[in-house]
Amino acid sequence: MPGSIKISSLLSRLKSNFFTIGFFIPAFLYLFSFFVIILIFLLKFSFSGDIPLVHLLSVDEFKAALWRSFWFMGIGTPLQLVVGLLLALLIQQSYKGVGMVRSLFMIPIAIPALVTAIIIDLLFSYPFGPINDLLLGRHGFFPQIITLPVNWSGSEFLSLVLAVLGKTWRDMPISMLILLAGLQSIELEQYEAAKTMGARSWQQFKYLTLPLLTPAILTILILRSIENWKEFVFPFVLAPAYPLLGVLIERLYHVEQNPALAASVALALVILIALTTLVFTSIAKMVREYLVKV
Amino acid sequence: MKVLKFVLIGVVLFFIIFPLFMMTKYSISDRESIVTGGEYPEPFLPFKPTLEMFGALWSRSDFLKAGLTSLWVGLFAVAFSLLLGAPTAYALARFKIPGVAILLFLLLSVRLFPDISAVIPVAELLLSRPFSLLPPVVLVGLAHTLLALPYTVYIAKGVFESIPKDLEEQAFVLGAAKSRTFFKILTPLALPGLGAAAIYTFFLSWNEFIFAYFLTFQGTETTLPVYLLRILSWSPQKNFISAISLLICIPVIIFTFLVQRYMREGLTAGAVK
Repeated sequence: MPGSIKISSLLSRLKSNFFTIGFFIPAFLYLFSFFVIILIFLLKFSFSGDIPLVHLLSVDEFKAALWRSFWFMGIGTPLQLVVGLLLALLIQQSYKGVGMVRSLFMIPIAIPALVTAIIIDLLFSYPFGPINDLLLGRHGFFPQIITLPVNWSGSEFLSLVLAVLGKTWRDMPISMLILLAGLQSIELEQYEAAKTMGARSWQQFKYLTLPLLTPAILTILILRSIENWKEFVFPFVLAPAYPLLGVLIERLYHVEQNPALAASVALALVILIALTTLVFTSIAKMVREYLVKV
Repeated sequence: MKVLKFVLIGVVLFFIIFPLFMMTKYSISDRESIVTGGEYPEPFLPFKPTLEMFGALWSRSDFLKAGLTSLWVGLFAVAFSLLLGAPTAYALARFKIPGVAILLFLLLSVRLFPDISAVIPVAELLLSRPFSLLPPVVLVGLAHTLLALPYTVYIAKGVFESIPKDLEEQAFVLGAAKSRTFFKILTPLALPGLGAAAIYTFFLSWNEFIFAYFLTFQGTETTLPVYLLRILSWSPQKNFISAISLLICIPVIIFTFLVQRYMREGLTAGAVK
């Protein structure tokens, strides 16, 4: 029978590759079973709770959190791109001490996000904190800008601004490294040619560096927008009164003891990230095609 | 142009160093330097620097317990992800596996979920029986293994690919079994490279907050970052919070510098042939 031949040949192949399979399986099984468990759990709870996924948009808490997360992502992503680009440009060429500067630029990534958030909280404390002291003009060297101390964590706008700044500070080495790799892949001859033709440094940047850096920039936009959508620690510490989607998930799970609704929001977050990635990838494709034509 | 560049470097360095400087300053501040009552601005250097906060922490059993928990969770995550990850990486580096691209994608697939989304199912699973019978250190270690394992496999794959295949063939000719070759010949050679993966995993676990927070939400045994957050709810003095923060950061900063140098040497070592 052909069937049994197939099975026995399969078995013999399995037997001869027993070692490979035995080596490969443990980590694979561990990661993949968690993947399946997470997916099934999220799907099961999202469609069986008292407020299923499809009706999430009628929940005011969710709408508010979605809106805040959207702004967090929309402002954080370009900001992190610009800061990363600035840092990468500063350490791109070699000069005396560039290695040291590069190492110092890497420090933020070594600081745990929670610690960064807490230090920012201390710096912007109300009513007596270093930043309020500074802005009130209480140190001789800095001009007075405000007359009353600012309650940073009491304002939705200001506390979310602090969260964006904290996230940007902590993650700037990541954007820097990706953009640095992009900058260093541009060949020096191209700059030589531009110089010979009389291009100034701003023109070199605009007509040479930026277009050639487009792939790295698009990578940053995709990675950073994902990272900003799912941010938890900074808004959790700095803007607990104004939850983003991540903070809302924690609140629903721990405070309101509603794992089903928490799972719905968690799945909504996954879907949002997938959609954003899709949009950015298709934009990236269009931009690339446009650049090739030019 | 050059002047502008160095000014900008100075400004960026200021923004990077300033928060860390303030954290260090607070951690050695005396009472008058932080409790000003609004009568005078907080000084940028403490009036009377003191190490008393570190002394106080050294004698706090809950802080030391959290430190030990962090250490054990990290070591557990390292052991578990190397034990699972190194063989997989070896199989990926050496053997022809059909559909390897799909398998690699599936290995990474669990990281497609945002941590804050994945943590709900993981907490529901690990905090219910039979898993909840395990000590919290093991539970958090298992979660951190989940985060670190894909990277461990990736780093270890590169390590095994850099070891010449001839060594194994010679061992095979001399009659060593595949498993013996792996444990007696390859593993010792791969150890330095696997060390990099281990350090990466350990500090990922040391810094990790979300999974540790959800998995130890109700227990007393918890890691340093979660301990730090719990301390915040008592609204403690700035010097106390800063001293804990500094102690969490110091090992990571030191290792980041060390590993960076090692990485750069690794990059340049094979550059010129």
